[in-house]
Amino acid sequence: MNRKEFLQMTAAFSGVGILQSACKNTPSISGKIVGANAAVGHILQKKNSFIPSSTINIDTVIVGGGISGLSAARWLKKQNYNNFLLFDLDKNVGGNASFGSNNVSKYPWGAHYIPLPNNDLKEYLNFLQEANCIVGTENNLPIYNEEFLCAEPQERLYINGVWQHGLVPNTGIDKEEVKQISSFLALMDEYKNIKGKDDKYAFTIPVDDSSKDEVFTTLDTLTMKQWMLQNNFTSTHLHHYINYCTKDDFGTEHHVISAWVGIHYFAARKGKAANANNSDVLTWPEGNGFLVNHLKQNITENIVNNILVTNINLLNNKVQITCINTLTNTCVAYLVKHCIVATPQFINATLMPWLKDRNNLVKSKMHYTPWMVANLLVQDVEEKYGVGLCWDNVIHQGESLGYTVANHQLISLKQPLKNITYYKPLTQSNPKQARKNAQNTSYEQWKQIVFNELKKIHPNIKEATKSFNVMLWGHAMANPYPGVIINNYRETLSNSINNKIHFAHTDLAGISIFEEGFYKGISAAKKVLLS
Amino acid sequence: MYKNRNTEIILLLAVFVIATCGLIYELVVGTLATYLLGDSITQFSTVIGVYLFAMGIGAYLSKFFNGNLLAWFIKIELLVGFIGGASSSVLFLLFPVVTSFRIMLYAFVLLTGILVGLEIPLLMRILKEQVSFKDLVSRVFTFDYIGALLASLIFPFVLVPYLGLIRTSLFFGILNILVGVYLLIKFDDQISKAKLILSTAIILLVIQLVAFVFSDSILRFSESLAYHDKIVYSTSSSYQRIVLTRSKKDLKLYLNNNLQFSSSDEYRYHEALVHPAIEASKKPKNILVLGGGDGLAVREILKYPFVQHITLVDLDKKITNLFTTQEVLVQLNKGALQNKKVTVINNDAFIWLKENNQIFDCIIIDFPDPSNFSIGKLYSTTFYKELSKHLSNTAFAVIQSTSPLAAPNSFWCVNTTIKSAGLQTQAYHNYVPSFGEWGYILASKQLYSVPSSFQVTLKYLSPQVMQQMLLFPNDMLATKTIAANKLNNQSLVHSFEEEWGKYLEQ
Repeated sequence: MNRKEFLQMTAAFSGVGILQSACKNTPSISGKIVGANAAVGHILQKKNSFIPSSTINIDTVIVGGGISGLSAARWLKKQNYNNFLLFDLDKNVGGNASFGSNNVSKYPWGAHYIPLPNNDLKEYLNFLQEANCIVGTENNLPIYNEEFLCAEPQERLYINGVWQHGLVPNTGIDKEEVKQISSFLALMDEYKNIKGKDDKYAFTIPVDDSSKDEVFTTLDTLTMKQWMLQNNFTSTHLHHYINYCTKDDFGTEHHVISAWVGIHYFAARKGKAANANNSDVLTWPEGNGFLVNHLKQNITENIVNNILVTNINLLNNKVQITCINTLTNTCVAYLVKHCIVATPQFINATLMPWLKDRNNLVKSKMHYTPWMVANLLVQDVEEKYGVGLCWDNVIHQGESLGYTVANHQLISLKQPLKNITYYKPLTQSNPKQARKNAQNTSYEQWKQIVFNELKKIHPNIKEATKSFNVMLWGHAMANPYPGVIINNYRETLSNSINNKIHFAHTDLAGISIFEEGFYKGISAAKKVLLS
Repeated sequence: MYKNRNTEIILLLAVFVIATCGLIYELVVGTLATYLLGDSITQFSTVIGVYLFAMGIGAYLSKFFNGNLLAWFIKIELLVGFIGGASSSVLFLLFPVVTSFRIMLYAFVLLTGILVGLEIPLLMRILKEQVSFKDLVSRVFTFDYIGALLASLIFPFVLVPYLGLIRTSLFFGILNILVGVYLLIKFDDQISKAKLILSTAIILLVIQLVAFVFSDSILRFSESLAYHDKIVYSTSSSYQRIVLTRSKKDLKLYLNNNLQFSSSDEYRYHEALVHPAIEASKKPKNILVLGGGDGLAVREILKYPFVQHITLVDLDKKITNLFTTQEVLVQLNKGALQNKKVTVINNDAFIWLKENNQIFDCIIIDFPDPSNFSIGKLYSTTFYKELSKHLSNTAFAVIQSTSPLAAPNSFWCVNTTIKSAGLQTQAYHNYVPSFGEWGYILASKQLYSVPSSFQVTLKYLSPQVMQQMLLFPNDMLATKTIAANKLNNQSLVHSFEEEWGKYLEQ
């Protein structure tokens, strides 16, 4: 789920169009479309002409260095299992949690925060302790490192010409609607503690630990919008808000995603802390790149970057993995006992074309939204009336999800320059069309698109911007349409092949959140360790 | 030489203008000295005295001027216009940057006085051939004194209220130069290199006109700031707006419109801030001051001979520079920031604490009030945990903690926050007339007890007073429980805003 996929899509659909647009620039604002790598683009086009020059035998290979792959590697290492390598196409691991930096601060290119973890996720809490995010316990509750808890002021929403506190609309809204919004949120709070007949939480994390009680799983037959209307939640402001939420977490609008997943967004998070509220989040200037650095801490010698995996095959009771080093253009084959494929399923279909049934299932069930993320370095931005700059700044009914301020967490008193990260899931058309449109959009056009929206809240945004960089995510996250919970396709796709090829990715969980990647990685690692 | 009566009238009018201008310059500098340095009696009498004395020097020097007297007169006239006109602008600009402002001030008075003093004798010599001596003396001095009367009346009633100091002096400078220019044109046949002098005069005129236009906008800006006292200095650093005001009785420093101190009662604040912590810390050698770029806390610390080293960390270099170099301010802090025992570091206190691992015997914290989210970080559990790492086992830290009367919940929130960082606390308060009731909190790894005596002589503090400062009447107690201030809730900033907002509305 990173530039790798986008490149592959680029190569597949329109050649190197995106690579050309990466070069355009204006003199006053520096920047470009980042992440497009011409060398990799060329290799992809003629990947079949590469023939392995040698074959190397090791025990295990992990393909993909996103959260799932890194978590699998970390787990192997923790169990003193050393004979493995992790391949990543990029020059850095991290996948969706990649980040950039300038002389003001680091800034995220994708996933940039984690909500307060549920207290029953022991392995996850242990990891957060290793990463110095949890610094102790008090009354059996974790004490979080306050430098990482999102600092006040956290969120504001631009609505009816005013910046209000928080993202739930409440300014200039009809009383009836306000009542509806609070009863919706109260209902979601109730769902937090509801359990099914099987004594499992109706909604929890990981998704697959949730109750299988039909009372709840039937919610997966409806879209979120249908469910809301059926339950008399008709407030347009509430609908706009929910639509924002589903776009933010799942990259899709509320009229297409599963109601079960929509409710899960509100009801699955039950985290408690000694020094934070349930709604608090942990964040860093570099976003989840901070966690990536801790995941990889003890496995750096097992990681090999700039490796393009072109094929995974079964061969004589072993798995053969063909790779091209994109720096040296050399091709090597690895013969392994186990392969953890920690890449999204649409990529896996190209790596293992021989899994015909599986690939057909992927093609029919898995859909991914493309995203555009822009990082702007700004100074002296003009503000509209109301609450001042927060960490998360959202425009009600905006085209984008608004922006977060990367240097918000830094403790220095005066920070005249801000790195702001603007997120935009490309949901206007179907994912395929949206990807095509995104590829054909030039750097200048992206800049225009972003400025056009931001000037509503910051009239001088164009003059205030010093640099502007864009990254495109061809397949940012899998869309959880109705059926994602009750249909068993995710289970089928999660089955290992010959007990040798194991799958670990959040798209198999249905929702793209850090915990899912973390636990998918651990369970794949456990499969390797078992045999 | 000058045969017609017109010439005489023109030259006598020149006397009138010169006299008016001369007195105006004197009044401008006198007033300016009062604004900037205070004490109007001293300033006015010294300025007038030096000015008159300088005029005497000028009169004496006039005998060394020979040859074309009219040319000399015109040149001097232009010079007076330029120097006198620029005087107030230059003095205002120099005040913050020079170390000995008084020398500059009297140099200006002296120079203007000498030049004005030269003019009347020269003029009398020019006119002596066409007017009898008794008429000459009578006319010249009549015009001279009428000019002085005019000046002394229009200065307080018209010029200062409508033009302000900078524009008044520029206006009369321009007038002086115009007289010179008029005379040049009128008598250009009698003066060699008249063209050269004229072009110089026009350059001077343009400079002053530009300054006049520019000063107008500066003036409007300074008038727009609603301070009761006269603003004697204002500037913006990258962190804040710094304004220094002076009234009859005191000097006040405002940062972003918040009063930092008034020279009349700051000793009450700084004694209460510094001495309890120092005495409790048992002869501290190595002391850290966070904030307090005015050097006033450092001044108090330096009273103890056993103190060996003071590290002062203040974000704003402009403030520490101002209080290291500016004469009046250096007088106030007794040159504390220039002391060999003091190291000044311009950095963010939070970042500095994180990046250093020195242990201190006593820490004085004099941050601005937590009026915004940035400053609120410096009052958070995370900050106090960091602070704790820098405190030795016997050290006490003291934190200025806003007013327990105006904002009791905020004050006690600071107390709760320090405690939740694992330190023991002792709150106390005193009355500082220009602030009102003010609160401080001692933080330490030990319990506090009031000392039996203070080792230095103090104007305000004594063990008995300290004992009293520990008592909090009911109206200074918290009205509700406030959670510790954390980076992720900034509860202090929220309550501070609410409480001060209400307090100031009353």
